[in-house]
Formats: sequence, structure tokens, C-alpha cells
Amino acid sequence: MSRTAKICSVIVIGIWLLMALAPSVLAPGDPLAINPAQAFAKPGLAHFFGTDESGRDIYTRVIHGAGDSLAIGLAATALGMGLAIVLGTMAALSPRWLDEIILRVLEALYAIPSLLMALLIIAFTGPGVGPAIVAVGLSTAPGYARLVRSQIRSLKNSEMLEAATVLGHGTWLKVRNHLIPNALKPLLALVTLGIGQAVIWAAALSFLGLGTPPPAPEWGAMLSAGRTYLHLAWWMSLFPGLAIVAVAVSATLIGRALGGKVKSL
Amino acid sequence: MSEQTLVTVKNLSVSFGATPAVKNISFDLKVGKVLALVGESGSGKSVTARSLLGLSGGTVTAKALEICGHDALGLSDRAWQKIRGNSVAMILQDALMALDPLRPVGREISDGLKEHTDLSAKVRKQRVIHVLESVRMPEPELRAKQRSTELSGGMRQRALIAQALAGNPQVVIADEATTALDSQLTALVLSQLRALKDQGRGVLMISHDLAQVAHLADDIAVMKNGEILEFGPTDQVLNRPEHDYTRKLLQAVPSGVPRFASLTATPPSRQVAPVAKAAKSHIDPLALVASNLSKSFGKHVAVDAVSFELPQGKTLGIVGESGSGKTTTARMVLGLQKPDSGTVDLLGERFAPKSEPERNQLREQMGAIYQNPLGSFDPRYSVGELLADALSRGKTKRVDNYPSAARQLLEQVELSNDLLSRSPRELSGGQRQRLAIARALAPKPKVLVLDEPVSALDVSIQATVLDLLDRIQLETGTSYLFISHDLSVIEHMSDFVAVMHQGKVVEQGGTVAIFGAPQEKYTQQLLTAMPRLR
Repeated sequence: MSRTAKICSVIVIGIWLLMALAPSVLAPGDPLAINPAQAFAKPGLAHFFGTDESGRDIYTRVIHGAGDSLAIGLAATALGMGLAIVLGTMAALSPRWLDEIILRVLEALYAIPSLLMALLIIAFTGPGVGPAIVAVGLSTAPGYARLVRSQIRSLKNSEMLEAATVLGHGTWLKVRNHLIPNALKPLLALVTLGIGQAVIWAAALSFLGLGTPPPAPEWGAMLSAGRTYLHLAWWMSLFPGLAIVAVAVSATLIGRALGGKVKSL
Repeated sequence: MSEQTLVTVKNLSVSFGATPAVKNISFDLKVGKVLALVGESGSGKSVTARSLLGLSGGTVTAKALEICGHDALGLSDRAWQKIRGNSVAMILQDALMALDPLRPVGREISDGLKEHTDLSAKVRKQRVIHVLESVRMPEPELRAKQRSTELSGGMRQRALIAQALAGNPQVVIADEATTALDSQLTALVLSQLRALKDQGRGVLMISHDLAQVAHLADDIAVMKNGEILEFGPTDQVLNRPEHDYTRKLLQAVPSGVPRFASLTATPPSRQVAPVAKAAKSHIDPLALVASNLSKSFGKHVAVDAVSFELPQGKTLGIVGESGSGKTTTARMVLGLQKPDSGTVDLLGERFAPKSEPERNQLREQMGAIYQNPLGSFDPRYSVGELLADALSRGKTKRVDNYPSAARQLLEQVELSNDLLSRSPRELSGGQRQRLAIARALAPKPKVLVLDEPVSALDVSIQATVLDLLDRIQLETGTSYLFISHDLSVIEHMSDFVAVMHQGKVVEQGGTVAIFGAPQEKYTQQLLTAMPRLR
């Protein structure tokens, strides 16, 4: 990872964290404050990104929305990865018949487009932040699980594991100390890419009205609200959209930088 | 000068950036002579050889560098191409890596001819067959059409040599051409090199092992740190070495050195302190018993009814060529592979076949050392963490929990305590193997299974590791199951020897009996192929 790439990633992560954890530092206003007199104000000095149909400041809402969007992205990826570790490890270490069964189920799930699966899950659970996390998390799990499985399978036959067996380490200790950490290391880059993807899907669900309920400042929901007024207030859709793109792009870049680092090890 | 000189090197220096690799060395290579460059890795011997092919990759300066009458100083890449293959050729180390697995070996061999000559395809084909015949390849017409992966190890080695000879070079460089080959392949390569010498070519042999070159070389140059320390006729260098370093290299060769005699001590002390008998135990006098172990993979029988006994505090050497079933046997003994039939008993208790939880208590009694220690370490762990992991049976990697035990282990293998926080990747090959030994000793095992523990090491480093193993055995009474393809190492380290061939133990008994008066034809063959110094 080059020095510049490293510095850039740290700065980008810092900005996102600041937006998510302390949005008031960047945007001291109230994201929910209504001011009908200022409705549909154009972007300018008073309102950097303009205002929406109720006169809420878009800039403030975009900044405050980062927390929810990123939290959904992170939580969903964590859920998907956690599930994947359990399933993938189980498949890799099971007797062949069980491995085959888990694998077939994963392949069947993998064949369904993730967003479609998320919609399916929401159809059962009903809309909301929690369901959106679960839906996105579950729909990404099969892909990760297959990777974890293949990583663990190749590590399982390594001399490193044999050495641990000969030293008398129990199965659980081998899994915890050697298999999972070494299997996850190369997946780190992929997970970072996955966070960006999860943010997009979470926004997509909200856009469809199935994620964060209004009036919370969620990027997907804001995009959806802006769609109605696209012809007279383009800024309502543009800025939340740019925020989503920015998160996805920076996650991709950081993931790539990490990927390079992993390869050089 | 009565003899014709093929290569003249005067004051050759090679450097990489500011780092000198070869410093001011001079030598000649004459027609029909074999010159050996001997030294440890990093001594500059390979760089020297490669600079004769224009492949050193560094900055080359010399007063004179003449190859078969060509002045080879400051040549362009194109000019070097004319010399390579035609005047000088190199036999590479690893036949499997050096030959393209997707092309027939005949095509590989004729590539050089295509590049350097105007011969028609038909003539080239004849030349290829001819050259394969000259290295005594069986059925050369058939072999030329096969890919390297379809050939046996011996045939692959012959193809590799044929490839070097295709352009009829006057000078042949063999860079560690026998390293890591088992004894029969080594003998094959050595006899081929002898044939080259007899044909009047000049041969430059590069090796870290004096025993490998002893019978073939006319002159030996001992290199260290880029300089030639000693240069002279073979007889003089081997029997009346002038330099301490040469003596050290000679002493490091294990063949013919009695059990427990040091390979490194100066002055050489061949006297052995009487063994401090391991505390008299009331348990079984046999540390390890394998009876009728068999294992097949599909139709291939890897191990066929192998039985042996390892008494406490002794060493049983298992020797055989690659593919003879040594490693599969070791894996079954270690309980890593379930035998199709047969049993393994450790200290009088059944060890295999048994389920892992059932033999968990016995696990501490048996340790393992591998050829490539780095592969057996978790890459995320430091030296200290590896030791703590072993000492706690995986419960923790915090070395703070075992400060004295970890230090003691490092002391036992003569490694410095400063290494605790380092990564094993930063250690040298010898240090890594010492660390692997320290880790295996953590649970205080009664038996150590060593699978080719020194095969990846230079002879001089190998000597220090073998001495260490000797010392540990004397101090702790640990029994060793020592697996190697190297007869001289087995002879030096073992009390008993089992010779394996095609999955079977063809002969076993005391080391002196096996090496002195082998009964089986196969054992006799192996022994005659063994390069010896003493």
C-alpha cells in the first residue's frame, strides 16, 4: 500500500467516522427542523445543498444521515460475515455429506440476486431499520460463506494445522487460534468492498420505503422523497445520491488498497 | 600453457547497488577439467556462475573475462545470447520447475537449436534424439514426444541435462544440480557430469556440500562472503586444507562421523561423553512400535506392511528415495493419517488407530519437526507467541504467562532471548529449524518424529542442527524417528536404520550392520550411489 493511498484512506475513514459519530460538529442544525417558508430553497450560502419540500436543510440531513447509513452497512456486513464464518467453517470441517448439503443450500441462496432476497426477507418481517440490516446481512452471507469455506479447507491441510494437532491442541482451539484468523485475513479487503455494497443496498431498501421510515434523514429515503420533485428541486436527489456514491467509492478504494497489502504479505 | 583454457576469470567483482556479492576473484577452467565452487548460501558462488552467462543481474567488473576465446566483458544482451547455449550452458537445479510442463521435452531441447542454428526441423529432431541418447535416456524417440510431467524423476533429470547439451557447449555449469535429489538421482547426475568431463568439456560445479564434489572435481575453490578463501587441487583441499573455514566445511559432512561426535566443535572432539542415562523408567523400554502399517491412496499402495521398533533414548533412521513411503509412514505414526491396517504404540499404549480425544493425553509424548519450519508456524505469530502457544497447548499466545519456560526453550536450542518478539520470517533457515525444535520440545515429548529436518539447509548449518539434536538427545533421553533421503545424515544420526523402497521396509537393523554389510541388493545400490568423503 503506497504512502499516499494510506494517508488518503485514513483521512476518508476519519471524515466518515466524524459524520457518523458527531454530525453536529459539521452540521450544527436540526435535521428534522421544518421551515415551510424556506421550502425548495436553491443551494446557496444559507443552505449549502438547498432545502426540501418542508424546508429542511439538505446539507444537515445528508450529514446526519451518514450515521444510519453507515451503521446499517456495517451491521449488515458484520451479520453476513458472522453467519458466513459459522457456515463456512462448519462446512469445511464437517464430514463430506454435511459439507455437500451446506454447500448446495449456499449455492441455491447464491443463485438468488441479493436484493431480491432482501426484499423477500422484508416481505416476511415488515419494513424497518432492523429488518433492513437482517435482510442485507442474510443476503450477503452465502457469498462470504463460500469464500470462508474454501479458505479454511486449504488451511485445514496445512503443515501449520498439523503442527498444532501434533502439539495436542483441541479442535476448537485450532479453529479459534489458527483457522479463522488466517482465513479472514485475505477476506478483509473483500469485506471493506462489501460495506460499500451493503450501504447501497440499505439505501435501495429505504428508497423503496422498506428501510428507515421517514422523517429520519436516511439517504435512500431522501432520494425517494426527492424523486417526486425532481423537475423543480434536483438538489433534493443529487446530494443524498452523491453521498451514497462517495461511501461506495471510498469503501472500494480502501478495499483495493487493503487487497494490495494482503497480497504483498 | 600446455592445456587449453576454456574460461579465464581475472579479478572478477559483482555488486548489487552498493552491496558487493563477489569480490575480486580469479580462476581458470581448462578442457576436460571439473572446477568446484563450494560455499554456503550467500557466499557468491551462484552469482559467479551466473556472471559467466551474463545473467548475474548486477554490475560486473573484471580485469579479464574470457569464455571459449570470446572476450565477454561489456557484451550486449544479443552478444550474450550467442554465447549462451553454444559455448556455455547451465544445468538447473529443479527439473520439475525448469522444464515447461505443457510442452514435450523434445521441443524444449530443440528450442536452443532453433535459436542458434539454421538447421532444418528434420535435422534438429535428429540432433535432439542424439543428445537424448548421449545422456542415456531410455527410448529417446518416445521420450522426446512426452511432457516433463509424464517422465520419471530420473528421466526428467536426463532431459534437463540434454537441454543444456543441445547446443554442444564447451563449458557446462551445474548450479547445485544434485542438491535435494535423492541418492540415486544424485549418482545419475554425477555420472553424467563425469561423462561431460571425459568428452573434454569444462565443468563448473557449484555446491554447498564438499562431499558432493569430492569425487569429480579436479580443483576446488572454497568461497565465503564473495571471496575465494582457498583454491587448489581436490586432494590438497580435502586432505591438507589450509584455511579454518575449509576445515569447518569438511568437518560438517556427516558421513562416516560416529554417533554423537560433534560436526562443528573446534578443535574436533570425536570423543563422546558417556550418555547420561535417562531416568530409569518402569514403563516400556520401547518408545515407539509400529506394526504392519499399510496405507493405499486409491490403487496406489503408499505404505505396505511396515513394522519397526524404536527403543527409548535411541534413534531409528528411515531412509529411502522420494516416493518410497517415508513421509506417509511418518504421518501415520503421528496420527495425522489413519492407517488402512496396522497399529502404532507409543510408550506401551495404543496411539493409532484411535480417535483424537482418546489419544489426547498421549499427544504430549510425541513431537514433530518438518523440513520447512516456516510452513508449520502460524504466520501471524511471533517467536514468543509460538512458544507460548505450544506451552499452553493453544490456550494463550501471551508469552508473559510463560516467561521462564519460553526463555529456557530458546536457551536449549541455543537461540538468543532477543528473538522472542521477532517474527520467524526474519530468522535464518537454521534459526527457524532451531525454533521448530524448541517448539516441539515445549510439551517435553519422549519421542520426536523428524521428517527431513535438515534437507533444506546448507551442510555447515545442517552440522550445527545435527549437533544440537545430538545434545538434546543426550540431555533429555528423547527418542528420534529420523526420516531422510540423505544416507550420510542417517548414518551419522541413527542407532538403527530401516531402508524403505516402494512402500516396503526392505532391510532394517543396526546402523553399523546396514552400512557395513548390507544384505539386500537395493541397499547395496543406495550405498554405492552415496557420495562419501571419509
